[in-house]
Amino acid sequence: MSDTTSTKVEPVMMDHMVSLTYVEDLPPNTVRFAEALVEGRILGQRCPVCARVFIPPKDYCPLDVVELTPDNDVEVADTGVVTNFTIVAPVRYYGQTKTEPFVYASVLLDGASGTLGGQDVSGIPADKVHAGLRVRAAWKPQSERSAEGQSARGWGSVAGCISSFEPTGEPDAPREAYEEHTI
Amino acid sequence: MPATDIAIIGWSQTPSVERSALTEVQLCLKANLAAVAAAGIDRHDIGFTCAGSCDYLTGGPFAFVANLDAAGAWPPISESHVEMDGAWALYEAWVRLQHGDIDLALVFGSGKSSPSNPTELYPQQLDPYYLEPLGLDPDSIAALQARALLDSGKATERAFAEVAARSRRSAKSNPNAQLSGDTDADTLLAGGYVRAPLRSHDLPVYSDGAAAIVLATADRARQLVEHPVFIRGIAHRIEVHQPGSRDLTTSPSTTGAARAAGHNGQAIDVAELSAAYTPQELILRESLGLDDKVTVNPSGGPLTANPVMATGLVRIIEAAQRVADGSAHRALAHATNGQGLQHNLVCILEGEQ
Repeated sequence: MSDTTSTKVEPVMMDHMVSLTYVEDLPPNTVRFAEALVEGRILGQRCPVCARVFIPPKDYCPLDVVELTPDNDVEVADTGVVTNFTIVAPVRYYGQTKTEPFVYASVLLDGASGTLGGQDVSGIPADKVHAGLRVRAAWKPQSERSAEGQSARGWGSVAGCISSFEPTGEPDAPREAYEEHTI
Repeated sequence: MPATDIAIIGWSQTPSVERSALTEVQLCLKANLAAVAAAGIDRHDIGFTCAGSCDYLTGGPFAFVANLDAAGAWPPISESHVEMDGAWALYEAWVRLQHGDIDLALVFGSGKSSPSNPTELYPQQLDPYYLEPLGLDPDSIAALQARALLDSGKATERAFAEVAARSRRSAKSNPNAQLSGDTDADTLLAGGYVRAPLRSHDLPVYSDGAAAIVLATADRARQLVEHPVFIRGIAHRIEVHQPGSRDLTTSPSTTGAARAAGHNGQAIDVAELSAAYTPQELILRESLGLDDKVTVNPSGGPLTANPVMATGLVRIIEAAQRVADGSAHRALAHATNGQGLQHNLVCILEGEQ
């Protein structure tokens, strides 16, 4: 030490970035869902005990705690009802690609027991979107469909094949049709 | 106060495989359904559920919450989770059953290691200033432990290889093992070092898998199954986190846990040890005072089937299996957490007296 009289020590700073890599396989249920979706079909799975239809298939029923198989797969319609929604006014945080307000809606497909969350609703001004609105999937062209959004973490996504939902022009669904599905 | 006798009345494990296409919750479901069926109970009669797992393995945030689907969490159940091997979940359930107000508990442990890279992931459990930035992985810590053991004169590389060869031979009769086969120390010692002085046979496999156990109070257990396996004692002890602050050639926390579990040198027929690295079996044998008459890891142990976070729970299952089938009167199961045998649990199992 050249300066033994100094009591002030400069702190040593260290930058240390951590990066973890994960490589995962899609489980069989998600593979079936993704393959059907690319073909333009929405696959669900009906529990034989409670008759609920889960979208996407899980290969089990979390309520009855029974295993389900591809034999329990069912196709549901690409039409449904908006059960709830919010209008997102995007702020420019890192990673946010949107610049204009957009709809973030829950859609209960006809034949399903649970909603698809986080769906865009297009073809109607955002301030006209409302619970009860009947909608239909706007499919991407066949050549643009992909398995985007499918993951072994979570239960799958329609984002790679369905760009948004559009009003069908039908009268609104009655409240009883969606009041148990607010999210 | 003497503990209330608790018995193991049902168990199941999924086969240990290198890569399963099933999700962790799907693996848990298979184990839980089979364990509950083996116990002959209705899952609605379970008073407490406890699980052990680590979200970092699959990289799924709150994966442990999703795993609850495998236990049936609606209507709401009384449950808990430990970010530890499932053997500690069993410990918590055992403590919970001591209260006396419930008589059945479900325990499960699960690990899906295949999506992650152990060399990259495991340093994250070390201190963030000195060891984690070095990227000190489990194989390297085990190599330091092995080197210390060799330098102490208590073991040889041949002794390590003999542990590996015996484990692989034993695993031939274990349908759940990932690795098995006939080999000998000479053949294994011809291989090169992975982390000197450790060769590949000294290192564990990494498996995807899940395991589950149903516990019952003694009276309920006798009603439900013909051969309940009683937990005569269970305890765990921990040492300091920094491996450089420990004598890695011995495991005083294992010795302490065994003593607290009531093991005072009585005859043990079978010991299932969570010795993921060959030198650790030698360290644990000495720390537990096990002589050559004890059959160690008849399943093949973690060198041949290693569903991380369930490996210790599988030790309890393998030990219980041998008590239930009469091949062991008294069995010892050991589980470990942390690095280089930092935290150890010992469970003593016996059949009906």
